[in-house]
Amino acid sequence: MCANCGFPAAKGHWTDAGAGSAFDRIRGRLQRARILAPVLASYGLAVHDDGSGSGFMLANRTGHQVMVNTLSELWEAAERIIGRPVDPLDPRFTDEAPTP
Amino acid sequence: MTNDPREGRMRLTILGGFLGSGKSTWLRHHLHHVLLQDALVVVNEAAIAPVDDALLIGSMRLRVLAGGCACCETRPALVTLLRDICDDRVGGDVSARRIDHIVLETSGLADPGRIVDAIVTDLVLQHHIVVGEIIVTVDALHGLAQIRDEDLGRRQIETADRLVVTKVDTAEPERLPRLIATLRILNPGATVSGSIMGSPADLPDASNVDPETLPTLGASAAPAPIGSAALDLGETPDWPALTVWLSALIHARGDDIVRIKGIVQTPRGRILLQSVRKVVQSPEILADEPTATDTRDGLLVLIGRRFTTGELVRSLNAFGIGGAVAIEAGVASAAGRPGHGDR
Repeated sequence: MCANCGFPAAKGHWTDAGAGSAFDRIRGRLQRARILAPVLASYGLAVHDDGSGSGFMLANRTGHQVMVNTLSELWEAAERIIGRPVDPLDPRFTDEAPTP
Repeated sequence: MTNDPREGRMRLTILGGFLGSGKSTWLRHHLHHVLLQDALVVVNEAAIAPVDDALLIGSMRLRVLAGGCACCETRPALVTLLRDICDDRVGGDVSARRIDHIVLETSGLADPGRIVDAIVTDLVLQHHIVVGEIIVTVDALHGLAQIRDEDLGRRQIETADRLVVTKVDTAEPERLPRLIATLRILNPGATVSGSIMGSPADLPDASNVDPETLPTLGASAAPAPIGSAALDLGETPDWPALTVWLSALIHARGDDIVRIKGIVQTPRGRILLQSVRKVVQSPEILADEPTATDTRDGLLVLIGRRFTTGELVRSLNAFGIGGAVAIEAGVASAAGRPGHGDR
């Protein structure tokens, strides 16, 4: 809480808005890392969030590492490393599985 | 802590629309309406000598920002002005404390999306202001020409939640349905209503009318048509997974996906998510019980180009959000969109 304006000091990134408690926050971060792992692995990247610090670590296979604080920063960093954005509408994510 | 659904923030309604499209006339009429009666009105004019403020004398509280358009050259001045309003509300004049609603009438040259960007990226304003509705006026007589020739005219329409066709009585009878059909193609997610001198007016039926064929404009105008997708994410979608998916989508496709809006249950409660192009507003925590005007919980509406509803559903699945169901697919479909009071 800011003493001058009466509002919290930082609004935080929008992706952190849904957590109701510290427990939700940690659980959300671990869940987020679980979701990110296969997505980024398909681009040769790995992500690590141990639930402590404020952000998470993005690394490629040659050992290039970068710390990011928010998901927006993560996607920007990933684009810098792989040369194009990670696109959820890329065919690797949207191709139809053989239907039964 | 969450008794106040907006967390104490003021609601900002943005009123945009092309030069001379009837913004001030519409606003003047609505200042006497209950919803806007207590609003503080901020008028931005690109011209150095303002004229719009004379039109708006009915407003008790009026601030004028003249001499440049607030989405680009006078953006810092807009931020300063809004910060002053926030200061007054928190610590200054007692009478100013009651301000709960600001209406910003943009200049006719403004892209409302960039105004949203100015507010949600400002470290002070994001704590004090929540962007509510974006209303865009469209001139019944000149609207079609502006949409055809001006990239800006299209951008204004694409960002709107509500489109108001003004001067309905001046349009040639056969042109008006064509304008309405074109608006529905450009922004299938917005409601479209008619107005004469600010009073509501009926619009003709445009369901069987062909829209105007729009030429490609410049480098920024995309040839692909705009469509919308409505997805039902279920009652309690996985919020962390959804944030991963949405943040990636907005980063990669923010120029194509013009608008995202939805209400999602999270551990913190129901939250209203919205984005305009690449900008996501700090989500608003809503009251626990839905109001009559809320979109349904778990409903996510995306408006933009170069995606299909099927792709979105499969992509959500790939990101660990199973169970998403397409409610209504369709590019350029105008009928029966859930969550909008479209008639």
